[in-house]
Amino acid sequence: MTLDELILGQAQELRRGTVVLACLALLDEPQYGYALLETLNNAGIAVDGNTLYPLLRRLDKQGLLTSEWNTDESRPRKFYRVSPDGSRVRAGLIREWQGLVASIAELTKESR
Amino acid sequence: MTASSLTERYVHEVVRWIPADQRDDIADELRATIADTVEARGATEREVLTEMGAPARLAARYADRPPALIGPDLFPVYKRLLVGLLSTVLPLVAAALMLLDIADGKSVGAAIGGAVTMVLTVGAQMIAWVTMLFALVERSLHRRGATARTRAWTPDDLPAPVQRERRGAATLTSAVWHALLLVLIIWQHVAKPYRLGDARAQVLDPALWSGWIWPILLGLAGIVALNLIQLTTRDWTVPLAAVHAAAHAIFALPVAYVLSRHMLFDPNVLTDFNGPDWKTPDAFYNVTALAVLAVSAGQAIKRFREARG
Repeated sequence: MTLDELILGQAQELRRGTVVLACLALLDEPQYGYALLETLNNAGIAVDGNTLYPLLRRLDKQGLLTSEWNTDESRPRKFYRVSPDGSRVRAGLIREWQGLVASIAELTKESR
Repeated sequence: MTASSLTERYVHEVVRWIPADQRDDIADELRATIADTVEARGATEREVLTEMGAPARLAARYADRPPALIGPDLFPVYKRLLVGLLSTVLPLVAAALMLLDIADGKSVGAAIGGAVTMVLTVGAQMIAWVTMLFALVERSLHRRGATARTRAWTPDDLPAPVQRERRGAATLTSAVWHALLLVLIIWQHVAKPYRLGDARAQVLDPALWSGWIWPILLGLAGIVALNLIQLTTRDWTVPLAAVHAAAHAIFALPVAYVLSRHMLFDPNVLTDFNGPDWKTPDAFYNVTALAVLAVSAGQAIKRFREARG
């Protein structure tokens, strides 16, 4: 395994948990799967559909998102948005994230 | 094959792995997503589906079910139970069955054959049932979101340290006992301690000295040597345990064979010893043979444990 591959693998581990927070942050406005994927990727959150779509359903099942089929357009799509529980979880995750950023910044002050 | 049926076939492959109540919903969403992706990227259906990968893998993500029968929470218990069953209960059952067979008047060979068959079938059953049980428990735990350990681990759960001195005493006893046996066999051969009328005779059948006694003596010598090695060395390794096991096999298998064929004792000595009215029963030979095998197997297994522990 080369150094680049190692960095890539570890970076993936780092990113894994952030997808949930990113979804919760973006879904104040209802969105459907592919549109959300695009928004995330454009925002620099690299995630593939195979991860995102099952994740959305899981968050829905946990009650952090609500979902609704929209049949107004030619193609019926399932729209997701954050539930009240989801907003509270989002607030908690944001606090956690900021704490982490501060801690890591403190820890890596020297080595940069 | 039209292009749209490619999506249909893919979606069908995905949802067939998913619980029935979610199938239609996931299928509808997948169709929409694939169509959206194709449209937005200007890619072909084939390209999009290739990128999405094997349907079974995607289904596993949707099903939110770990792609493992037994997860890390249950695996240690599973392994311990299986090893325990296979290494203690199974041999006990096999030994009991062998004794019953012999009590029924079957030969030792037939009894061993029956026991081997039984070990294979019952062993397979044990593995299968335990695995199935744990897979079911795993699945139900996962469904309830309760994959955390049922009981918190504490340092008290650490295995007790192996007691070197007790182990050393056992090894010394074994060395002395086997050395004694070795000396006894040679002594009775040389000294001919049994008085047969005016003549003197060996207790063991002299015919053994042109055959079976040699592996027995070799095995005994090996056992003594390895016990001494274990006493003096700090690292008792698995290869040494294997040699020790081989020595026990070289000793115990011929002894068991010779016993079961009633070839151990000098027939003249035996007749004189038993008197005219009594004949040593078959059960004596068979049970003794089994006991020798069991003790040797136990010793061999114990040394393997010590090598690993």
